[in-house]
Amino acid sequence: MDDKQKLRRGDFIMSSILILFGIFVIVEAFQMPMQAKYGGVESFWYVSPALMPLIVGTAIVLFSSLVLGRAIKDGGARLFVQMVRRKAGGVSDAGARFAAIIVALVAFVFLDTPRVDFFLSILFFLLYFISVFYFDDAALLKRLSLYFVSAQAAILVLFATGLGDRINRPFAYSTDVVALVFIVGYWSYARILVGRNHALVRKLKITLIVAVVVPLILCPIFMYGLLVPLPDQGGILSLMDLVRYSIGGK
Amino acid sequence: MFMAVTMGIIFGAMPGLTATLGVALLTTLTYGMNFDTSFVVLYAVYVGAVYGGSYASILINIPGTAAAAATAIDGYQLALQGKGGQALGLTTTASGIGSIVGALFLVTVSPLIANLALQFTSFEYFLLAFFGIIISGTLQSTDLVYKGWISGFLGLFLAVVGRDQLQFYPRFTFGVSQLEGGINVVPVLIGAFAIPQMIQVLKDRVVIGDTQKFQRVLPELRTIARYFSHIVRSALIGVGIGAVPGIGEDVAAWVSYGAAKNSSKHPETFGKGERAAIVSTETANNACVGGASIPLFNLGLPGSPPAAMLLGAMMLHGVQPGPLVNMDHPGIIMRVSAILVLSSIAMWIVGILFAKQVVKILKIPQPLFMPVIAVLSVIGSYALGQEIWNLYLMVPIGILAYFLTELKYPIAPMVIGVILGPMADANMRRALMVSHGSLLPIVTRPVSLVLVLVIVLTVLSQMKWWRKMWRGLFTLVFPKKADRG
Repeated sequence: MDDKQKLRRGDFIMSSILILFGIFVIVEAFQMPMQAKYGGVESFWYVSPALMPLIVGTAIVLFSSLVLGRAIKDGGARLFVQMVRRKAGGVSDAGARFAAIIVALVAFVFLDTPRVDFFLSILFFLLYFISVFYFDDAALLKRLSLYFVSAQAAILVLFATGLGDRINRPFAYSTDVVALVFIVGYWSYARILVGRNHALVRKLKITLIVAVVVPLILCPIFMYGLLVPLPDQGGILSLMDLVRYSIGGK
Repeated sequence: MFMAVTMGIIFGAMPGLTATLGVALLTTLTYGMNFDTSFVVLYAVYVGAVYGGSYASILINIPGTAAAAATAIDGYQLALQGKGGQALGLTTTASGIGSIVGALFLVTVSPLIANLALQFTSFEYFLLAFFGIIISGTLQSTDLVYKGWISGFLGLFLAVVGRDQLQFYPRFTFGVSQLEGGINVVPVLIGAFAIPQMIQVLKDRVVIGDTQKFQRVLPELRTIARYFSHIVRSALIGVGIGAVPGIGEDVAAWVSYGAAKNSSKHPETFGKGERAAIVSTETANNACVGGASIPLFNLGLPGSPPAAMLLGAMMLHGVQPGPLVNMDHPGIIMRVSAILVLSSIAMWIVGILFAKQVVKILKIPQPLFMPVIAVLSVIGSYALGQEIWNLYLMVPIGILAYFLTELKYPIAPMVIGVILGPMADANMRRALMVSHGSLLPIVTRPVSLVLVLVIVLTVLSQMKWWRKMWRGLFTLVFPKKADRG
């Protein structure tokens, strides 16, 4: 299957989704006031808030239908059916790399950033994200990703069950300590996995240096230079505050 | 300014990073500064990034930005011949000249555009916004043109989310209070430009090969003087294309390359290290910076994706672009032109003196560089308003943008749609309110009529049946010689 055929297969899927989306936009638009008073303002069709959504929805349906037609004409539908019928094999290398990127981003943004000290969030994100791609080894990627996902699942359970709040009562930064334990565990696990491979040991050292130095530079710039409070200022950032105000005064 | 230019050059040089992303990230970081200071930084990054793309194009044959793709054709060939330093010297000086010419056009043409724009009513503004989306979608599509238009309308949809400006009716908010104010442009831009590039570079293992070695970078003024006619033509092309909403530097560079080749006495030398080629492309893409600023300041229409980000920055600083911008903020156009000229000079100095040091950045492995960009994107999205919600928007939009990019849907029209959507929506409804629902003013007002005709012709020209019809008509009117007895 050449690139053009893959593209048309993708077009078949995407244009179908876009047509459904366009129909959804049109349906939602018809539920907006067309001719009535709303907010004290007399609403004729041309002032209706539904006008632009109707135009947008109709245009998306129309143009997506043209793309769908072209995709079907070029064999995209046939290839899609073949893909569905084919028995599912293992995840490809590119697929695994894609999944690793998404997992890293989703965990960093949705899970860690709002709940864990921002310094540690960045540290964990960079440690994982850099190592899995810098090592360029499919087996290592899968093992390290498994550890990362497990750690993130544990953090999720910790906060979802309210356990995080309970352990933070005696000591306010307990959850940050837990995150730090996971980070140290990740590095240790990665160290064991790379074994005596000198090239990978060197890469792991560089990864750790970058993962520590980047938040060490960025966090003070934002907190003290640009005066932007960071999403979660936990243990490490509070320590940074302590050092800064001890050295610099009030 | 020098630091910002250097950062811009790095953003331009590094494949996977773009001028738009650089301007977007710096917009959030310079939010707390006054307008002049922040625009010094933003324009320095913009000018540096457009020029910086030539580094990767010449030294490793991978364009650092789309705007430098045309430079790679002849630039890399020169590097292979051991003339990488000369090629960089030519692109540095040509880029500097292009930017300065763009700045001169900004200050001279702006009063004319502003006078014209004072005649505009809501109909014209709506049609201009619509035209920007359509033309951007048409010219940016590399596959089916419908994909560009779909991308533009997806951007319009994102712009429509939130309470509408006229009746405050909540549209597509689904009861989520954070959506009532609409979708913030900056996280959308950062997500749409950073995440797809990051995924592509890391997933596909883009490896930057060894850079070609080069000696000193010299200004090459004598060589530049020899290609003076190319510079003049390319600068005019760059400014002209930059002034058309939503297109951008890459189109300017390619059009200039084509024009240089067509006007050359020896077109067969193009593609083999022709100096006129790289002088033309780099002059045009940098002249586009000033050209894109003309509709940006005078009409509120960005001439390119990075200019779209500058529009966002202007609004953050409370500067409302339009024909009255010079009245509301006296001297602003002159100040921006001066900033552009100074940025060009700073870019030239950094390019001539520090090219060898900047090129070392290209040696950093992508798996080390891209995750740091991801962190900067997250922190940049958050810094604006300190809203976690911006991050929650950025990631899904970025993933959607990745899938769209893989299927050859251009992202620039979506960005233009997000930026111009509120203007298009409000002006369309205001115009219809004034005319009581009548569409007659569209055809009775001269500017509106021209815009409508251009939009309709742009759309129709992409249809096979329309092109067939005109070809048939043409053959009828001008029959071939063989058909005449």
